Amino acid sequence: MDRKRLADFRTRLLIFLAVVGPGIITANVDNDPGGIYTYSVAGAKFGYSLLWTLVPVTIALIVVQEMVARMGVVTGKGLADLIREEYGFRATFILMVCLLVADLGNTISEFAGLASGMSVFGASRYIIVPLGAVLVWALVVKGSYRFVEKVFLVACIFYIAYPISCFLAHPAWKESVVSVFRPTVESGHGYLFMIIGLVGTTIAPWMQFYLQSAVVEKGIKLKEYVYSRWDVIVGCVITDVVAFFIIVACAATLYASGHREIQSAADAALALRPLAGHAATALFAFGLVNAALLSACILPLATAYYVCEGLGLESGINKRVEEAPTFYWLYTGLIVVGALAVVVLREQMQVPIILFSQVVNGIMLPFVLIFMLRLSNRQDLMGEHRNTRTFNVIAWITCVVMIGLTVLLLGSQFFHGMPV
Amino acid sequence: MPRREVAMIYFTEIQNLPAYDVMGAYLGRVADLGIDPNQNALRVAAYLVEAPDRKLLYVSREQMQSITVRSAQTSVTRDRISSNLPPGDLLRVRKDVLDQQVIDVDHRKVVRVNDVDLEIQPTNGHTELRVLAVNVGLASAVRRLLQGVTAKHTSRKICNFIPSRTIPWEFVNLIEPDASRRLKLRISYERLARLHPADIADILEELSRDEQRSVIEALDHETAAQAISEIPTEMQAQLLQSIPVEKAADIVEEMAPDEAADVLQELPSETSAKLLAGMEEEGAQEVKELLGFEEDTAGALMTTHYIALDVTASVENVIEAMKEFEGSLESIHSIYLIDKEELLMGSAPLARILLAPALTPLRELSRDEVQSVPTEADAKEVIDLFRKYNLLSLPVVDDKQHLVGVVTADDVLDLVVGRR
Repeated sequence: MDRKRLADFRTRLLIFLAVVGPGIITANVDNDPGGIYTYSVAGAKFGYSLLWTLVPVTIALIVVQEMVARMGVVTGKGLADLIREEYGFRATFILMVCLLVADLGNTISEFAGLASGMSVFGASRYIIVPLGAVLVWALVVKGSYRFVEKVFLVACIFYIAYPISCFLAHPAWKESVVSVFRPTVESGHGYLFMIIGLVGTTIAPWMQFYLQSAVVEKGIKLKEYVYSRWDVIVGCVITDVVAFFIIVACAATLYASGHREIQSAADAALALRPLAGHAATALFAFGLVNAALLSACILPLATAYYVCEGLGLESGINKRVEEAPTFYWLYTGLIVVGALAVVVLREQMQVPIILFSQVVNGIMLPFVLIFMLRLSNRQDLMGEHRNTRTFNVIAWITCVVMIGLTVLLLGSQFFHGMPV
Repeated sequence: MPRREVAMIYFTEIQNLPAYDVMGAYLGRVADLGIDPNQNALRVAAYLVEAPDRKLLYVSREQMQSITVRSAQTSVTRDRISSNLPPGDLLRVRKDVLDQQVIDVDHRKVVRVNDVDLEIQPTNGHTELRVLAVNVGLASAVRRLLQGVTAKHTSRKICNFIPSRTIPWEFVNLIEPDASRRLKLRISYERLARLHPADIADILEELSRDEQRSVIEALDHETAAQAISEIPTEMQAQLLQSIPVEKAADIVEEMAPDEAADVLQELPSETSAKLLAGMEEEGAQEVKELLGFEEDTAGALMTTHYIALDVTASVENVIEAMKEFEGSLESIHSIYLIDKEELLMGSAPLARILLAPALTPLRELSRDEVQSVPTEADAKEVIDLFRKYNLLSLPVVDDKQHLVGVVTADDVLDLVVGRR
């Protein structure tokens, strides 16, 4: 009896491991250099008091990601495909152009993160950024999907750098865990903006397109969907656990010692040194570099994929350049321009570009979320797998809150110029 | 065929065209065109007009008096126009063709439709529309963007300067995953089925899972088997799992034994057992023998479809043997010679057999030393032999020198180049 149950468990575990990937990778890319910076600031400025936001953020992330993963499994089509077939060429075209602009900005910020992370180790950005760009480009163009996915999963494991560096910082564990489940509200603009920043950067439009395409490309079957859902849930939880450790590490050191203003994630890494030691700094910076490379790899690729998909052009890394020219030019172009911007432009000039791309991201998010909600409720597309009523209530609340917060975030950036 | 410009109209120009009845009363706007493939696959059979109260009116083809880029006018009054769906299913241009993926059988690829070209044809006192072609090029994309933004003649002028790509309707193969609807609308994959299996395979790779399934189910077993053999093994496995077991077993039976063994190894053991059980005894036996070999060894690479004759046979026996041979004749490059115990004794190249007198013993045409490999030889060893001796095929022997199979050059090529 016990042996049978064990064998049963083993089979299930094996299926899970075969299906796992898209959800975990997508969620981890969410912790890109921008995300790490935001968490560092939250910890440095407000200590443990913002940890409670991670719970609602995780739920929102799971709800939204589960929806696209389900659509991918049931329809076998990418999100861009579905939007094109449902809402026509023009809506798709405008959406794709906006996504392209936003993702170019995002790519610049990933390479900026790479430069900043490596500066902790004393490497010059003039060497490291072009090197990173070539590495990222070659990995995807020369590798197969399975190989690339394995590399991505390994990169996800490297996020362990943050928990370790957090342990080195000797935080008040009891207080930090309690803070997760004890919502506190402080007055003041800064606190509110910080919350908006934390929540607003969590759900980006491009992630939905990437996750759905990855699920489709992996060919996950309806029977295996249960496991795919766990992939999404585990991914989202891991992501926010990593976020927890980043916030706690910064809270235990920077906040506690009064070093509350940091300009970049690399700043946070350097500031750890006198308080938590060299190893903590190195790990923190290593995590940043790893995150930068991972997202610099996935973002341009995902963008090239869904732009071509939506516009009906040939795409895919298994195609030759002559077969899918637009795909390769988009992918290469995003990396080259992204890396060049970091090498050539001074930091003061990079910031407005990155800010602008966040604005475009924010404007698009409501549209993408509403498209998703409407598509996943369609009987003819989803059949018995369309959203249940309870799910819809949660999903609509999530979307309305996300949209509201994004609008607030954009407003704050416009009128206060607050780098949240 | 010269065509007057006025006689040609794009679907983007018809969409939202105001429609009036014979008295000049406003009916609504044209929303879609319906084709009844059971009557005429090229002719528009009904015009779906959306009235201001959002109800749909069905103007039949005989009721349409005239169509221009400015308006449509019926030959009857409002009360004669039905608001019920005509009997039978209609192929809808906007719903089923526009923005959907279709197969361009002429260029052998999957494309997404941007626009549809129609011809205005005055017939017996009314006006008919005929489908000419679908548009996939840049010009049609621009036309979609300008639709409703600039005046129609302006759009035409602008798009005249842009390269356009049209696919004549007779080269378009629609894709409809729903089998009953496909039957009702007479959508056949006949045009697709006439392509080379390798081209069908390329097309399959571009389709979503349901679409792939519908194409495979519609093809005959042999074509399906050939096409499936050309797609990546993972995708083969997914596809075979999505179709009924009996059909899958029939297809696997038609595949070359080595290809069949490869895909069965990729499937869950339960499924592959079911497929083997569904195959004919002889075919299943051949595949089972191959399944025992480790991946990337000569045993796993070889096929069991080859021609071996007794060592005493002469040239005249060869034709007889080839007539009886059930596998693919193109893969035969040599005739193998075996003794009573099935020990490999020689190999006679087909080209030399062709030139020899009918009574020549095959043994005289064989080289003294025949290259062969043991079943457990690894892929690298096999590749080296092919390169060194410029082979087209290589016999595989077991540990007692019995001939058990043949590795052919096409499998080695896949091995060297990788399956993309």
